[in-house]
Amino acid sequence: MKEKTLLGSLRVMLLSFEVQLRQNLTDGFVLFGILVQPLLVAFMALWMLKDKGPDHAIFVVIGSGLTGLWTTLLFDGGNSITGERWNGTLEPLVGSPSSMRLIVFGKVLASITQSLLSMVGCYTLISLIMGYPLTILHPGLFIGSVILTVFALVCFGLIMASLFILIRDIGRMINTLEFPVYILCGFLFPIALLPGWTTPISYLLSPYWAAQALHGATSGTISVNKILFAWAMMITFSLAYILLSEGLYRKILYRARVDASLDTQG
Amino acid sequence: MRMNVIEVNNLRRIYKSTTGVIKRTSKEIVAVDGVTFDVHEGELYGLLGPNGAGKTTTVKMLTTLLIPTAGSATIKGLDVERQADQVRSRIGFVFGGERGLYWRLSGLDNLRYFASLYYVDPDVARKRIDELLDLVGLKGREKERVEGYSRGMRQRLHIARALLHDPEVLFLDEPTIGLDPVGARELRQAVRNLQSAKKTILLTTHYMFEADALCQRIAVINHGKIIALDTPENLKRTVVDLSVVEIELFGIPPEVVEKVRGLKIVDNVAVESRDQRQVMIVHTSNGPEAIPALVAELNGLKVGRIISREPTLEDAYVRLVGGAE
Amino acid sequence: MKKLISNTRIFFQGAILSYRALFRWLRPSTYIASKVLAPLTVMIFFVYIGAYASGSNDASYYVIGNALIFTASSGIYGVTMSIGGERWTGTLPYLFGAPANRMAMFVGRSLVHVLDGMLGGFIGLGWGALLFNLDLSKADPTALLVTMLVTTFSTAGLGLLMGCLGLITRNVMFINNLVYFLLLLFSGANLAVSSLPRWMQAVSQAIPLTRGIASTRIIVNGGGLAEVLPLLRMELLIGLAFTLAGYSLFRVFETQAKRLGTLDVF
Repeated sequence: MKEKTLLGSLRVMLLSFEVQLRQNLTDGFVLFGILVQPLLVAFMALWMLKDKGPDHAIFVVIGSGLTGLWTTLLFDGGNSITGERWNGTLEPLVGSPSSMRLIVFGKVLASITQSLLSMVGCYTLISLIMGYPLTILHPGLFIGSVILTVFALVCFGLIMASLFILIRDIGRMINTLEFPVYILCGFLFPIALLPGWTTPISYLLSPYWAAQALHGATSGTISVNKILFAWAMMITFSLAYILLSEGLYRKILYRARVDASLDTQG
Repeated sequence: MRMNVIEVNNLRRIYKSTTGVIKRTSKEIVAVDGVTFDVHEGELYGLLGPNGAGKTTTVKMLTTLLIPTAGSATIKGLDVERQADQVRSRIGFVFGGERGLYWRLSGLDNLRYFASLYYVDPDVARKRIDELLDLVGLKGREKERVEGYSRGMRQRLHIARALLHDPEVLFLDEPTIGLDPVGARELRQAVRNLQSAKKTILLTTHYMFEADALCQRIAVINHGKIIALDTPENLKRTVVDLSVVEIELFGIPPEVVEKVRGLKIVDNVAVESRDQRQVMIVHTSNGPEAIPALVAELNGLKVGRIISREPTLEDAYVRLVGGAE
Repeated sequence: MKKLISNTRIFFQGAILSYRALFRWLRPSTYIASKVLAPLTVMIFFVYIGAYASGSNDASYYVIGNALIFTASSGIYGVTMSIGGERWTGTLPYLFGAPANRMAMFVGRSLVHVLDGMLGGFIGLGWGALLFNLDLSKADPTALLVTMLVTTFSTAGLGLLMGCLGLITRNVMFINNLVYFLLLLFSGANLAVSSLPRWMQAVSQAIPLTRGIASTRIIVNGGGLAEVLPLLRMELLIGLAFTLAGYSLFRVFETQAKRLGTLDVF
């Protein structure tokens, strides 16, 4: 029998990445969330925050890039499993010896990576067309923050994908989850503006720590120590999600086999 | 004594369905009702039954996609419920149909992806994909997107996919559905070749001639229960006492069918549509002697040809499932 | 006279059919989530950015603008789904073949969405008053009502046009989302029209909602119906123009479809 080598598992993840990438390239709905929406948000935020001076441009780039990442995670990553079911390919995937978590990880990674491109797009739009200076304060910390952000969001996507399958009517609710994260995680304005009772909620959301780290590394909104603390939080969350996902996936896949819900046609 | 590769023990599967939005009523449908059978190593085993008999549900349980409501099944000694992961790397399955493939990807990319999911070494995969494309007749079309494939081509891609990891056990759920006669014949030959390569195959179908042509043993299933289990020859022997009279008619009123069915010499009556005509197939033990009595019942109706013939496996099947069609 | 009766009947039939077809899947929870909560989250987001930008406590400028966006959401998503959704439900061919006056049917369908939009607008203002201390004491109720009515009519007209575009392309949701964001951008909800570059101002003046928002701001600040009448007149005209454009586009589409014998016309 084919044993599950580490290399083999890596291949599963990479090819899932590739398949998702290809599927997304022709999906208008996904592309909107990945490319167009962040650009529009960027433009609006840029204009609204004009009076704060040209140094704010980088803040807007990062912030709108983050909105793109979250929207993608919510609408695309979250539907990793439900999308396969709708496509009729969930059964062949579950029926294979590969771990569903690995497959979902690859898929969400693809979506997030594509979404990062939107951040690059905002960057280009704003620096080239608007002529704003875009200096990154701590380049090293910035790169580290990007990597950890991607990792933390993908891990969160793992959990989201399983929740989407567990909660039947999730489709009706996801629209209301899009902007609250933009608000609570301080993407385009500091959460200090929000009522105090929301702060604990912000702390519980991993995108908040991502925003802290990224804004800190580019605009210097927080000290280096606090950036490193944000890193620690992102790593903690990621590990927690990975640990949680094992039991969660086992449970939902078993449940799906009992309920005959691996295929929409029963 | 040949080893049992697949052992099914009293397998049951109940579906619960709920209808209604405000007042929800739930219904329980017993799809598989206590099925027991074994498949020997290297055997080509058939699960034969009409649509809705429980064939696909049984196969889904055996391929670890459904959890049985009761009973158990093992494949090569591994429990399908509790050792699902190990089972999955040893089996291949084909459910066919329009779904189950990535339409925006090419046939080749679909195969590459699934090969990776089965942990097939990339070099081995490349070679095997090449051979399989040849085997299923998709050579030259593999770089096209699946969305442009015909139904038959998709079916053949499904089959190639099931064989990527060279599994010892194969489950084929109605594999020739949607194929044209030539394609279906080629597929049956391919299945025979697989069997001679020492693979154990469980095939489901509702085509009796297909089961007869391919399978070494057949389990006839209807309403979730196995109503007969034997070799094709033995099954045909169950109807050896039978004679079949086929009467061609142009329009058969149901009352006439009932009257004929009520005759003492008649075992079973089925009505089949062939082109513009309808054929009443009567199972009786008297054969040619029964004809006059039958014709008497058809008083007034326009009658075409009347044939008396030997029973086929199809007739045995009809007798078993009670003339349902 | 007979024709009038028949047209009126078709008008209402279209309206009811539209409502039933689209909202058949609707449950109170979905309505609340998508019409009451989701637009609120967008409002909160932009109001806070506005507050961050202006550094002041008075967010009424942004609150009013975003409250009116509530009306757009109905007009856009509702109407475009109604027409773009025709394709999915396969009832389009019946629309073609019907000897009924298409105009009557179309406008009938929009009626429901106009009423729905007005409800949305009042919900928006309600949230503004509740959460952001929007002071509505100086507003003339009649003027407000008329403004709402005219504004939702014109956004429904835009929706009709968008819906017909949706017949041609496959990505209805892409168009919906795009138009929604473009309205946020150009209508003066968040960015003062006068502060935009010249070419963008031209766009702002040509689309629905802009004058509706401007009128509402005047009314909330104590202005009377007479003051906003010129604005509303233009708003109404724009609504008519978009409705007619949508109708013509539909006829073009219909002729093409009949000629080619298929709904995949372009």
